Amino acid sequence: MTDEDIKSCCSAAYGRDAVALVLGESYHPGGLAMTRRLAAALGLRSGQRVVDVACGPGMTPCTLAAEYDVMVDGVDLGYSTVERARAAAEGAGLSGKVGFHLGDAERLPLPDNTFDALVCECAFCTFPDKSTAAAEFARVLRPGGQVGITDVTVTDAGLPPELTTLAAWVACIADARPVREYTEILADAGLRTTSVEAHQDAIARMIDQIEARLAVLRMTAADHLTAAGIDVDAVLQYTLLARQAVAQGLVGYALIIAERP
Amino acid sequence: MTTAKRDRDEVFVEYTKSICPVCKVVLDAQVNIRYDKVYLRKRCRDHGEFEALVYGDARAYLASARFNKPGTIPLTFQTEVRDGCPSDCGLCPEHKQHACLGIIEVNTHCNLDCPICFADSGHQPDGYAITLEQCERALDVFVEAEGEPEVVMYSGGEPTIHKHILDFIDAAQARPIKVVILNTNGIRLATDKRFVAALAERNRPGKPVSVYLQFDGFDERTHREIRGTDLRERKRQALDNCAEAGLTVTLVAAIERDLNEHEVGDIVRFGIDHPAVRSVAFQPVTHSGRHVEFDPLTRLTNSDVIELIAAQCADWFRADDFFPVPCCFPTCRSITYLLVDRKEDRTDVVPIPRLINLDEYLDYVTNRVLPDQTVRAALEKLWSASAFMGADTTARSLATAAAELECAACGIDLPQAVKELDERAFMIVVQDFQDPYTLNVKQLMKCCVEEITPDGRIIPFCAYNSVGYREQVREQMSGVTVADVVPNAVELRPLVVDSPYGSKIAGNGSGDAAGNGYRPTIAPDTTNVGRPAVQR
Repeated sequence: MTDEDIKSCCSAAYGRDAVALVLGESYHPGGLAMTRRLAAALGLRSGQRVVDVACGPGMTPCTLAAEYDVMVDGVDLGYSTVERARAAAEGAGLSGKVGFHLGDAERLPLPDNTFDALVCECAFCTFPDKSTAAAEFARVLRPGGQVGITDVTVTDAGLPPELTTLAAWVACIADARPVREYTEILADAGLRTTSVEAHQDAIARMIDQIEARLAVLRMTAADHLTAAGIDVDAVLQYTLLARQAVAQGLVGYALIIAERP
Repeated sequence: MTTAKRDRDEVFVEYTKSICPVCKVVLDAQVNIRYDKVYLRKRCRDHGEFEALVYGDARAYLASARFNKPGTIPLTFQTEVRDGCPSDCGLCPEHKQHACLGIIEVNTHCNLDCPICFADSGHQPDGYAITLEQCERALDVFVEAEGEPEVVMYSGGEPTIHKHILDFIDAAQARPIKVVILNTNGIRLATDKRFVAALAERNRPGKPVSVYLQFDGFDERTHREIRGTDLRERKRQALDNCAEAGLTVTLVAAIERDLNEHEVGDIVRFGIDHPAVRSVAFQPVTHSGRHVEFDPLTRLTNSDVIELIAAQCADWFRADDFFPVPCCFPTCRSITYLLVDRKEDRTDVVPIPRLINLDEYLDYVTNRVLPDQTVRAALEKLWSASAFMGADTTARSLATAAAELECAACGIDLPQAVKELDERAFMIVVQDFQDPYTLNVKQLMKCCVEEITPDGRIIPFCAYNSVGYREQVREQMSGVTVADVVPNAVELRPLVVDSPYGSKIAGNGSGDAAGNGYRPTIAPDTTNVGRPAVQR
């Protein structure tokens, strides 16, 4: 399977309703609380311009715009996801401060040297070409601008082999890296890491949520699940493995801030 | 001489008002955190210092502050602000919340004499039973204040032995009150099928009547020590009769330290398996009225009960599956809802808080962008003192919350799945009522569980039980002097004697400050004394 295949598969999976349903509205571990933590770590201030790469259905851009009074450009690879994000921003009366673009993290449809901050929540690990994505992050930031990434991390030994299959990409962990590798990728793109925080609880909570949602779907709509191509028992095997990996410290969740000098 | 200063062993977090558990005089009080637990302390000029555990988990206590909903103003108030809380009940215009749940105690008589009874009821020579007119007056006051009240609960005493109880239910149903709950020990439900049938007749779509059944556990010792007699067979029969008649039941368990705390898990499992039962309410024993001797510093609190449930049903729950209720003060009550799938070989249980990020919907302090007002409104109805399984509002709210959960799944036809969801839902409530030791005016001012008195007042339940209103109403209604009840705390042993009802009262025969049996006022205030702060 080529990188391109994986990327479009992953994006399609996120865009597809059945998976949206399993992962929930805001898609990333820690939910809004983690988004606020990220905003605080970036020190967002009124009037700043922010990019959200892989913004999903727009929850983070709307929250940042409303609570931190910033202008946000959201970028996502899924057409219907971008449409939903636009509708969400309009519904929240934020269309003046939040805009959305259909686009790829490795070719951001945004100008150079423009943004004060860039956020990327639980998505960086799913980008097949992380170096190019990081270079794009650096390109759109102004000098002194900051990247804030929250993402799944692994130990230097990497993931147990069972979790590296394509299906595990959906749970956004298959290509997770050690923190050191993330900071190296960022450094190669000219982004200097200034702080790293560990948030193990967030990923454990996400696994809970996936399991709970699957269990309910199995109770209420078993036939529809089958029709949508979801084999609950198979997915629960992955979440069980993921949970064990979290408990053993093999998988974690990190908040990384890096600066473009 | 040492010059090294020492730190206190506690963090001072709140300054509030409480009462002296002996003389009921209003006192300044402070809330402190010590070794991860929350304590309330106060000092009475005449009776000394008192301290009680109010929450077993300091982090949860502080974290719940965000889940505090702005109160709703009732349509009418019954009293004026004169002496301040808790002496003006009620409700006075300073009260911060309307009544989610109204309780009418129809009598003081009971067919049991339980060693634990916050109402101090039983086979007693004096006491009272309200008339139909008094009941109607109470209902009218409730309707005036609420417009369309969600829930009225008939309690006592034992309400099923009141000869007019069915008329009282009819009177409630004749008014715009959505749900009637009957709070009972179940003896009549077990022994009088015609009575059960009469309740079932009144249990109609849109106007449900449901049963709040005292149910403390399965050990004979639990029954004997809490109820004075082994009622296990009665409870079983009452539940089966309710199931047969289609009545929905909440199991209500009073949980006491070293008595039945090991039974909470079995109560949940039993409830989930019994066809009549849709919810369980756990209440740490309220040390008002009559109760077994206890130590205020090691009493059970909400977080303790939640931890017990999590430990005893470890396959199903963690402590964080319970979420504080924002309509009252969030430390007073926690609720979880479960979706239950009973199969031949196993029972699958999913706590709803794992499905939805409740803290993002029910955070009234940090949140500025709301994901969805409809979902928040539904969750507010579920995490409320007026939520009862079988009530339309609760069922509708479950459906709305579930629809949000699955709205992204356009491929799945929701209505059918959601209909099934309501039938699978099960509620667990943990509620710590305040007593004269734990009473915190801050919580009392936002209480949403109210006693409606025969004279037309609406009094927060914990004020009614702790401050002296219960004794005042009983005295007025029965014409017999009733001394203020003092908690049966180990440390008060030298100060108290038995009351005629089995509770404890101050040794001079009267609970009031003057010690002359005369009740000048409810909870005389020594905190707003009308003097300059510094006297020269």
